[in-house]
Amino acid sequence: MSGSLWPLVRLSLSRDRRSALSSAFGLAIGVASLVFFVSLGLGVGAIVRDKVFPVDTSLVEVVPAQLSFGLLGGGTLDEATVARLAALPGVERAFKKMNVRAPAVTIYRGDFFGRPLHMGLEILAVGVEADFVKQDVLLGEFVDSGPDKPIPAIASTRLLEIYNKSFAPQRALPQLSGQLLTGFVFPVDFNRSFVTSTPPSASAIPSQAQLVGVSDRGLLAGITIPLEAARRINTAANLDAKTFTGVALKATDPSQVPGIVAAVKTMGLRVDDQDRRMAENAGAAVAISTSSLALLSVLICLLAAFNIAHAFSASVRAREKELGVMRAVGASRSALFRLVLVEALVLGLFGGVLGTALALVGSVGLDVAAVRFLPEFPFKPETWFQRPLWLLAGGVGLGVLAAVAGAFLPARRASRTDPARVLAG
Amino acid sequence: MIDAKAIARDYDDGAKGRLTVLDGASLTVDDGEFVAIVGRSGSGKSTLLHVLGGLDTDYRGQVTVAGTRLDGLPDPALSRFRNETVGFVFQSFHLMSGVSALENVLLPARFSATPMGDLHARATAALARVGLTSHAARTPGQLSGGERQRVAIARALFSSPKLLLCDEPTGNLDAATADEVVALFKTLNAAGLTIVAVTHEDRLRSAATRVLTLSKGKLS
Repeated sequence: MSGSLWPLVRLSLSRDRRSALSSAFGLAIGVASLVFFVSLGLGVGAIVRDKVFPVDTSLVEVVPAQLSFGLLGGGTLDEATVARLAALPGVERAFKKMNVRAPAVTIYRGDFFGRPLHMGLEILAVGVEADFVKQDVLLGEFVDSGPDKPIPAIASTRLLEIYNKSFAPQRALPQLSGQLLTGFVFPVDFNRSFVTSTPPSASAIPSQAQLVGVSDRGLLAGITIPLEAARRINTAANLDAKTFTGVALKATDPSQVPGIVAAVKTMGLRVDDQDRRMAENAGAAVAISTSSLALLSVLICLLAAFNIAHAFSASVRAREKELGVMRAVGASRSALFRLVLVEALVLGLFGGVLGTALALVGSVGLDVAAVRFLPEFPFKPETWFQRPLWLLAGGVGLGVLAAVAGAFLPARRASRTDPARVLAG
Repeated sequence: MIDAKAIARDYDDGAKGRLTVLDGASLTVDDGEFVAIVGRSGSGKSTLLHVLGGLDTDYRGQVTVAGTRLDGLPDPALSRFRNETVGFVFQSFHLMSGVSALENVLLPARFSATPMGDLHARATAALARVGLTSHAARTPGQLSGGERQRVAIARALFSSPKLLLCDEPTGNLDAATADEVVALFKTLNAAGLTIVAVTHEDRLRSAATRVLTLSKGKLS
């Protein structure tokens, strides 16, 4: 058909403008709520995944089993076991970890970024291989230079966030960034504790730590130091400096993780997936909430589609004679079918674009309101939403789909208009 | 132009069973003729017209119009036939409301399978043939009954059909306006257009070159 249906579509929609706008608006509400809630779900999911529980999906944390199986092995993570772990199929690299097994405290008296600070803290420390955190090291090499030099230390990104959003405002301390913290030196006394008694023979090991960066891989309640430093301190404190407290296995691909986990368990070792499970649980909670709201939005779209079906049915009935005349002047059945569907498509496009625009405006408005009115708290994001292109296109597409689906039966009825009957008399 | 043989058409009449409207009606119309078909109300005149124009396909018999065999023709081809070969004029005009006369005349172009050149010029020319050039922008609501029928005739003429099929074209018009429309038909016929009109009216009957009567499903 070389003739264009657009003029007829335009005429038809403009003649019944109120009904067309009403149908499009109903669709827009459904599309807007769907795009808004999915965008919110994606945004909150990303916050949970990337900030609150930053889990590397290709990393498997192996820890010794709580029970030793004697001859069957398991229980300890020594060099031989680590070598076996590194040789597992799907493992790209094994990163050894060793806790500093001696207690440690830091007592700081002095200037803290322009504020006087007097503070004593019991801290934990874990030693890791340099490659495990090298991407986050901002200052120097992540190596232990001996007892007379400051130990390079990595702080946890999450700990810094909690400090900035909860602790610092309450104590009138400055907000800090990873870059600002880099280079900060503070004393650490190993083999000393505020909360547990140390053997009388144990003498404190005074040291200094220098922050060289912050990392998602950093220990949450403590500092992450080079493996050699942890080994040196444990040796000096006459504690186990040979077995490791954990091994992080880097999988070649996240899809290899289940296989690696199974293999680790057959070796009598345990996988510490607490963070992963917490992330998964939180992610699932977000996904369930988002899905519920998205389902509600889809129902709204469904209602809008029914509304369109009703409106188009009424329109086709009212235009029966007009459709008959169209048949008389040469419209084929398929042309009338297309005519009604194109009318619906235009409505759906309008409703979809309007709904998507409303969702965008609403989400931006909520972000602005959140920044302005919500108090600071850890992991408070700059935006609560993600607005990927596929979602925006999907919103428009859903509007079109709902409208076309709603108009399908009326379009079929239009195509079956019997001109001889409707034009008789 | 028309060669229709033994056309039979009946309808389901509910409890009464089948109602036969056309019962073996046959008709031959030559090019350039102006044929009036008369008959009582309900005699099947409009049905016959719809069969000849390819609007009604649920009949028995053989119909050939302008060399096109209509019985059994699939919908796309039949639609193209209606678009290019015949023009319809109805008693109730059947114009699109709220739309200009020009846009009404352009309606066949929206479903045309072949390029029609400058559509606007063509529609304006069709309006000129019925004397309504100055009314092109008016909607049906702004036109008199006679003017509406002339717009409907312009719409029927838009595709330069070979055959004009008119169903009581003066039935809704006052006497003076009906005379004008009949005069227009005569002019069109004189220019070579074949016209078949079903009517009750003497003025249209007297304008025709041949009058046929439809009675008991047959033409005589």
